[in-house]
Amino acid sequence: MDVIALGFSTLFAPGVILVLAVGVFAGLIVGSIPGINDNIAFAMFIPFSFAIPPEQALALMVGVYCAAAAGGAIPAIMIKVPGTASALLTAVDGNAMARQGKAGKALSIAITSSVIGGIASSLVLLVFAPTLALFALRFGYVENFALAILGLSSVVGLLSANVLKGVISALIGLLTATVGFSLVTGYPRYTFDSVNLIEGIPFVPLLVGLFGIAAMFELLVDIWNERRSGKAVSGLPLIGSLKFGWALARRLVPVWSLSATIGNLIGVLPGAGMLMAIFLSYDQAARRFRRRFAGKPGEKSWGEGAPEGIAAPEAANSAVTASSMVPLLSLGIPGNSTSALFIGALAIHGMVPGPLLFTQHGHIAWMIIVAFLIANLILWPAAFIVLKSVSRSVFAIPKEALVGVIALLCLLGAYADGANSFNIWVALIAGIVAYGMRLAQIPLGPAILGLVLGPQLESSLSNALSISGGSWLIFIDPVNHPISAAMLALASLFWLLAIYGWWRQSRNRSLATRPQSDSSPS
Amino acid sequence: MKKAIALLASCLMAGAVGAAAAADFPAKDIDLIVPFAPGGGVDTTSRIIVETANTLIEGAELNVVNRAGGGGVVGQTFASKAAPDGYTVLAMTSSVVTNPKLKGASYSIDDFLPVGLYNLDPSVIVVPASSPFETADQFIAAAKQAPLNIVIAGIGTSHHMGGLAIQQVTDAQFNYIPTKGFGQQLQAVLGGHADGALWPLGEAANHAKTDSVRILAIASDARDEAFPDVPTYQEAGIDIEIWATFRGWSVPKGTPDDVVTMLSGLLQKTYESPAYKKKMSEAGYKPVFRDAKSFKQIIDGYAVLTSNIIEESGLAK
Repeated sequence: MDVIALGFSTLFAPGVILVLAVGVFAGLIVGSIPGINDNIAFAMFIPFSFAIPPEQALALMVGVYCAAAAGGAIPAIMIKVPGTASALLTAVDGNAMARQGKAGKALSIAITSSVIGGIASSLVLLVFAPTLALFALRFGYVENFALAILGLSSVVGLLSANVLKGVISALIGLLTATVGFSLVTGYPRYTFDSVNLIEGIPFVPLLVGLFGIAAMFELLVDIWNERRSGKAVSGLPLIGSLKFGWALARRLVPVWSLSATIGNLIGVLPGAGMLMAIFLSYDQAARRFRRRFAGKPGEKSWGEGAPEGIAAPEAANSAVTASSMVPLLSLGIPGNSTSALFIGALAIHGMVPGPLLFTQHGHIAWMIIVAFLIANLILWPAAFIVLKSVSRSVFAIPKEALVGVIALLCLLGAYADGANSFNIWVALIAGIVAYGMRLAQIPLGPAILGLVLGPQLESSLSNALSISGGSWLIFIDPVNHPISAAMLALASLFWLLAIYGWWRQSRNRSLATRPQSDSSPS
Repeated sequence: MKKAIALLASCLMAGAVGAAAAADFPAKDIDLIVPFAPGGGVDTTSRIIVETANTLIEGAELNVVNRAGGGGVVGQTFASKAAPDGYTVLAMTSSVVTNPKLKGASYSIDDFLPVGLYNLDPSVIVVPASSPFETADQFIAAAKQAPLNIVIAGIGTSHHMGGLAIQQVTDAQFNYIPTKGFGQQLQAVLGGHADGALWPLGEAANHAKTDSVRILAIASDARDEAFPDVPTYQEAGIDIEIWATFRGWSVPKGTPDDVVTMLSGLLQKTYESPAYKKKMSEAGYKPVFRDAKSFKQIIDGYAVLTSNIIEESGLAK
């Protein structure tokens, strides 16, 4: 308890708590600007953090990190452009709800879910960090492979519409991830002798292109079509009332709990990341929605404004933030690329994350931990202030102008990642490809998951087999690798359920000549 | 017309300044090119240097410029093509020596003039705290019986070549487990998912201090003060004198000698500052200094060692 008090007393120094609040506001803005994410923001901030005391630098980073995960939902809902990659799935139901005139409700669900996920995650960091760090250590190459398979399988349940196109999309992502020098053999693959491709296609510009630039093309085409048909360009949805009612809150409690649990578990595991967390929890929420609510009077279909479709990914991505600090603070192992940047900020001030941080700079270590809790408490009112002031005025700007500004910001963000003009081309080409996929109705989600998980899948498979001497049984060994065996069993369950669903669907279709009252193809 | 004359005059003056070189160097800000993203080891050490160095020069400043991409090759290539006037300095790592052969980089090591070295990080053999191996002898003996699984940063990285060198001088057999990023490597070692790892001492030190890992031997010509009980490779029966990655400054070929001397002197004065030494040590980097000549010897020695390994193991592209 003493140490927690030490954390609070460090945090509540006037300068530090103020900076944390500034960080939360800055993070909301950073998160809600497509093309700029917390990664890019930290890379720009770390050089400046040299000049300020470590307490303030780290409080600012905690604030930005927590709030950016929440801020990404704002443009996702308003204009279907995710502000960060982790709001990718929020854009689907969120924007659908906004187009039905309930943008305020969608935003409010998103923010509340983020805060709940974030608080759950901070409590996990505060109470269970050492235990969970030991759990994370059990993840070796075998378990990482099984985890990647589970992550990829999570998307199967979402492909009820067109399985083939989903598989094509996942393959596009996996193949794109092979570009660069192979970690396993050290030989170049598809680098075309370009030094820019040695480490693979630069990831941040690629993501910015896939969801930012592509969405700009879509908005441009919308405007063009409206102009041609002679109608006035329709405005953006109005934010409207931000209330969503206790009944809905009660209904979302199970979704929040499950998504926050998934987010926390994934966050603790090094290398898994926010994208895997949002897909896994979105998939679970979709299953629950189909079971409990689909087809009931007054309910929208999944993907057309279901509140669970907003709550699940937002609670999950915020639950990753604090939990990704568990392995970093307890062991010195960063949970994801953003928490890895905390190492840089600590090193600049002569500190090294891991057990030594608690003995040598305990006040900083505990301040970081409690800062996550306080940042999430500040986040709730801060988000509503930002929505009511900044967002209201930003989204009152004509659509045409907004498209130009966002496109510019996306290209700027791509360039800022390494100050390399090659990145601008990456973002543009990725945008064109993603827009092409949209025209061909190939879903983008599986491709992004393939991109993220491809390298992990490849290296963990080859390293696990290298250690096992080529034996594939290592993945389902219930004695030495029970976690892997369990995750693979769960993944195959996802597949079996999906296959059963498709089978039933096709049977229903063949029976559709007879009048059927209870077969609702969903 | 007035403008044209002013322009001509300033051009002439610039020429004159170029000829006069070091007399009034630096006349403008110097770019220190870090070929990696902010937050990594080279970036952190560069910022610590610049903080002190900027208090030692007048009228100009050193600025860290991050040019990331291609595992360092993008920024290194940029620096190799910069004007040789001393206003572009590369934060040079040992990868500059091997990248032309391993990654197909278009520059060669001869395109750079060494300025000074500020950090030398010897390779170490690390095992998990739970490992049955207490000494390097036991470790090598076991590796002679059956291959040990060794975590490295990637195929063709400096520490991978260091492992191949151990295999050459002993009869040990290693099965390399390439794992990207130090965090993931740490995960594999702490979790006991591999038998050991080859790491830079700087990264291993902080974890050895908390007894989560054990250092068995250091590839250096002398024991490290922080680990007086850990033998050098040669003391442990591995006949390799030094296997170390380095960090230093270099400038493009053709930079005037007196400018190189000035920059080298600046790095030395920075090194002599107690505040700098304290900060570097705290961040986990042992501060050292070698002047241009001695840095050149280290680079040449590393080039000979690695080119043998690269040729014999067929790593070259």
